[in-house]
Amino acid sequence: MASCRRLSGAALREVLGSAQGLLFDCDGVLWAGESAVPSAPELLERLQRSGKAALFVSNNSRRSVAELELRFSRLGFRGVRAEHVFSSALCSALFLRQHLLSGGAGDGSAVGRVFVLGGEGLRGEVRDAGLCLVGEGERGAEQVHAVLVGYDDQFTFAKLSQACAYLRDPRCLLVATDPDPWHPLSDGQRTPGTGSLTAAVETASGRKALVVGKPNTYMFDCIVERFGVDPSRTLMVGDRLETDILFGKNCSLSTILTLTGVSRLEEALAYMASDSAAAKDMVPNYYVNSIADLIPGLDE
Amino acid sequence: MGARAGRGAANGSGRGAGFAPKRGEEAMAATGGRRCRRLEGETARAVLANVDTLLFDCDGVLWRGEAALSGAPAALGRLAAAGKRLCYVTNNSSRTRVAYTEKLRRLGFPPAEPRHVFGSAFCAARYLRQALPPGAAAYVLGGPALAAELEAAGIPYLGPGPAALPGPAPADWAQAPLEPAVRAVLVGFDEHFSYAKLCQALRYLLRGPDCLLVGTNRDHRLPLEGGSAIPGTGCLVKAVETAAEREAFIVGKPNRYIFDCVASEFDIDPARTIMVGDRLDTDILMGNTCGLTTLLTLTGVSTLEEVRGHQESDCPARQSLVPDYYVDSIADLLPALED
Repeated sequence: MASCRRLSGAALREVLGSAQGLLFDCDGVLWAGESAVPSAPELLERLQRSGKAALFVSNNSRRSVAELELRFSRLGFRGVRAEHVFSSALCSALFLRQHLLSGGAGDGSAVGRVFVLGGEGLRGEVRDAGLCLVGEGERGAEQVHAVLVGYDDQFTFAKLSQACAYLRDPRCLLVATDPDPWHPLSDGQRTPGTGSLTAAVETASGRKALVVGKPNTYMFDCIVERFGVDPSRTLMVGDRLETDILFGKNCSLSTILTLTGVSRLEEALAYMASDSAAAKDMVPNYYVNSIADLIPGLDE
Repeated sequence: MGARAGRGAANGSGRGAGFAPKRGEEAMAATGGRRCRRLEGETARAVLANVDTLLFDCDGVLWRGEAALSGAPAALGRLAAAGKRLCYVTNNSSRTRVAYTEKLRRLGFPPAEPRHVFGSAFCAARYLRQALPPGAAAYVLGGPALAAELEAAGIPYLGPGPAALPGPAPADWAQAPLEPAVRAVLVGFDEHFSYAKLCQALRYLLRGPDCLLVGTNRDHRLPLEGGSAIPGTGCLVKAVETAAEREAFIVGKPNRYIFDCVASEFDIDPARTIMVGDRLDTDILMGNTCGLTTLLTLTGVSTLEEVRGHQESDCPARQSLVPDYYVDSIADLLPALED
């Protein structure tokens, strides 16, 4: 089991020294709301100068990767391009493309039709993947191939009903962008996450969703496909034990918990003290107070 | 008459073939499980002769949509004439007790008073009246019936209907002021359910450790006339539970609170009470858990195949879903009620 050690000094230099690249979660790691975590942009710059790769893996399904690229820039991070960013929106679209279009409809039937419960960012990624969006309130005889549940702040009973009608056909996939039950707001409050909406759809339809986001490993498969990373030389940096750290464990990555986001150190220690194997999988190898603490581990 | 003498003989000998033995959990363990026998003939006569009270689920038992099931009004009419107490126990939170008595009357069932109707809306209001400190209010995800029952119980509430949004984005909603008196979130059937309302519910639940989370029921589907269905209250309860990372107190079947409401209003002897329902996982489970005799009617959700599956399983939880008896429809009780 991982030992949740504070990462500093010689250990820090050694861990970073041997890493080829780092995967970063975004919310609560690089930024909180509209503010970058102090010195986080400097860390990314230093990583780049040290020849280490930095890639980004986020469960947030609100934004397209193009929007995220702009966000990075706006918050002071330089040199982050859309191709470095793996959001659950993008990866869900890739997942659907893989499952709905790879068969190749020899009969010339319509391309994969997807009913998306989510915002414009998510819908755009699905469209860009070559899939066809089913409209709200649409009532046709044409088959719907998948229902995709993402962060949907316009979620309604009517949309829930529409999704369930499609899911009565067992061939229609039920996919969720991520399992997060809630997300923190900058004032300490919480806003419901995709996980809560997925629970409603699962209960109504009697089906279990395929979840694309962390802690499941599909997003890592997308990263490996595009960049070919070596798990034994890659570190996962995140703020949420149940998603980021467990994701790292599932992908055989060493993990670093940063304390600028959701999870508290006490929670990590509680998992460490637990008897359950599932709990132990959520213990990070290391922790830092903020990712700024990683800077001393890099060469000048 | 021969039939009458027959009944008398069965009663006189005590444990005859048709006598419904007392149902308690120890008795259950001893007899090794319920048998789901067809209720007909002498068995039916004996069983019905030995009950004072029948509790009926409504949807799929007495009616489907706006149409009474054939023979159901007549069967209940005979039961009432025979002096049986009839109560109605439903998870549907979209109607008030008064509205149910109206529907019963309209569909030709024997007259019922509101006090005989136990809907999950009424019972949720009852629960809050007991559980909340005086003056405390509820934030409600629900419709006009739930609101009316809360009003009748004297519980201040807010929430029903479309969300009143102070701005277009969740960031705005999170700034809207919270009502200080709210000490409970109540989730019922809500066709105006939305992300914004889910947000508000979560805010109240996180504001203080003693904010109650109550759900009327967990039914995942609400059947409509013609065989289709819409999502049920259970979906909304699950959304709130997931966001808040806590479990709701559920008032409706199969939980026993709704039965406790019946038992507190009337002098109920479980050994002389039958629960009649169409769903194994709500009606029958509640009846079995509360020590009642249970009767499944096949005019609704559950099938005999499902029952057989549960009977054959080793799992005790599944055994609790098996009814004592079944009928194709409650009209099948009519012959047993003839003079």
